[in-house]
Amino acid sequence: MNTEAQPTTTAKPPAVATDVVKTFRTGDMEVNALAGLTLEVRRGDFLALVGPSGSGKTTLLNLFGALDRPTKGKVEVLGNDLGAMSKSERARLRLTSLGFVFQAYNLVPVLTAAENVELILELQGMGAAERRKRALDVLGDLGLGELAARRPMELSGGQQQRVAVARAVASRPALVLADEPTANLDGKNAEQLMALMRRLSSDHGTTFVFSTHDPRVIAHASRVVTLEDGKIASDETH
Amino acid sequence: MISTSTRYALRSLRRNLRRTALSVVGLGIGVGIALFALSWVRGLERMSVEAAAGGGLGHLRVAPAGWLEQHDEALRLTEWEDTLEATRALPWVEVATPRANVGGLLGLGTRTAHVVLTGVDASTEPQLFRYLRGLSEGRYLEPGERGAIVLGRANATRLRANVGDELVATVVSASGELESAIVTVVGIIDTGSRTIDQSIAHVALEDVAQLSGREGAGEITILARELGTDPEAVEPMRRELAAVVGEGNQALSWLELVPDLRAKIDGSYRSSRIATTIILLVVLFGVASAQLTSVLERRKEFAVLAAIGIRARTLVRIVVTESLFLGLVSGLLAIAWAMPLLAHLERVGLDLRAAFQGEEGMAFAGVLLDPVFRPQAGPWLVPTALALSLVATMLASLYPAWFASRTDPANALRVDR
Repeated sequence: MNTEAQPTTTAKPPAVATDVVKTFRTGDMEVNALAGLTLEVRRGDFLALVGPSGSGKTTLLNLFGALDRPTKGKVEVLGNDLGAMSKSERARLRLTSLGFVFQAYNLVPVLTAAENVELILELQGMGAAERRKRALDVLGDLGLGELAARRPMELSGGQQQRVAVARAVASRPALVLADEPTANLDGKNAEQLMALMRRLSSDHGTTFVFSTHDPRVIAHASRVVTLEDGKIASDETH
Repeated sequence: MISTSTRYALRSLRRNLRRTALSVVGLGIGVGIALFALSWVRGLERMSVEAAAGGGLGHLRVAPAGWLEQHDEALRLTEWEDTLEATRALPWVEVATPRANVGGLLGLGTRTAHVVLTGVDASTEPQLFRYLRGLSEGRYLEPGERGAIVLGRANATRLRANVGDELVATVVSASGELESAIVTVVGIIDTGSRTIDQSIAHVALEDVAQLSGREGAGEITILARELGTDPEAVEPMRRELAAVVGEGNQALSWLELVPDLRAKIDGSYRSSRIATTIILLVVLFGVASAQLTSVLERRKEFAVLAAIGIRARTLVRIVVTESLFLGLVSGLLAIAWAMPLLAHLERVGLDLRAAFQGEEGMAFAGVLLDPVFRPQAGPWLVPTALALSLVATMLASLYPAWFASRTDPANALRVDR
């Protein structure tokens, strides 16, 4: 029996950053990637983080993804204060309540599409038959049912990214974070992927936060937050 | 059903088949060599026990109390015939034969040789005395035969005695008088070791009693059935024997009779353990290096796994699973090549005569070792190979696994450009 404290996933906002400073040290230099940023991600947001390179998009995604902790300020993810959580508790939060889509797909190359999706469900403790069914259902929902037994290298870039989305949403997380998910896709595949993510967001009420430079992608967002120099330059709801 | 994370671990081994194959072959060879070392020492141990037992020491001995401290040939067993009967009644006793020793002088013409005359029971002695295989001339004593002697080659050469020659045996008796008797050489034994040959001068037990003036036996030498090769296996028998030998007598095992031989075996064990450890350490570092390289190559992948919520201990389990699988295959490889070879060597033996051509042959601590050496093979090699291999790979995986467990999940979002 797992006796570890379970992270809460109550009706609180999916992610809240309050006066967050994140400083990185490079040699003798200190760089503020985030400089007193405050942002609340609301339930059901399909939020695009935009801004030039170095504006703090990836750093903020790292914090909302419980991958890192702020230097100053407070970050709450699904009601959990990251500053008060251990490494293991943050891993547990990621496993149970968060989904990730990476720019470079980052599927496990030695596992099939279905196994990539199943891996998360297995780690969550789901039984073999149930997780296999769930994986195939999600892949089918994303139009990948026929490709479930293929390994990543046997799939196109667009297909791999859809498998990555399937992996991210299979456990029905409250919050999905995507780091430039269309950066390696052509226009058509980028459009398809965004439409798919938008559908998942509206069908299941899943909150999406993604970073992007692509104007076609930004067009799909319900909310666009622009970062500059580690601060919010604008926050627009469409 | 095999879990996805285990499948991931096992399939990861196929990513770089050449590296995996080299690790398996390296470890398989290393473990196989370790099996050779262990098998060699066990063979040496078995050979030593057999040589000690068959060379006249026996596995066990009933001796007069105090004999171990004094080594006095004049000591005699109390109630030796009853003790002999009780000893022979023990279920594990294959043969028990009485002996009595007396120091003396053998003379032929103007030549003399100082010897220890060993009085034996010729009806049971040949069952125990393996050196009879070295009988190069004549025959051994016959049951009840008096006035006959079987000599070692070294004594015969010194006296220039041949079969049929009559020697004068002179001893100082219990009363302090010089006692002499004529004994006829009926056989000459050539063991290949001058020291061992010098110790052989067998006469009838009754002849020793008559010359020394001391009746009875000074020892009962015992050969046990199915003793195995573990030196400590003799101890329960010794305790059982001690319970029947009667007051005034004591039960001794070969471990006490030839402590030098025991020390040699222990030394060989230590050497083999050191050699095995060195071999396995070298292999272990090789496997650890290969595993670490494999982990380093997958840093990004581990970061992604950590980012999606795989905990550090699961990453450790994945790396350890990979290593254990390597260990399993390597262990099987070691069994596949080393076991048949060792079984063959055990069957045909290694003739070491060419390496021991001095006048002492393969004698050590008064025991003549068999010149045909046989390593000890057997089913014990299977669990030993697997245990060595799995423990080695488990240890080899610790650092790479620890390294993997420290993966920073934030690296998952960093893009390699």
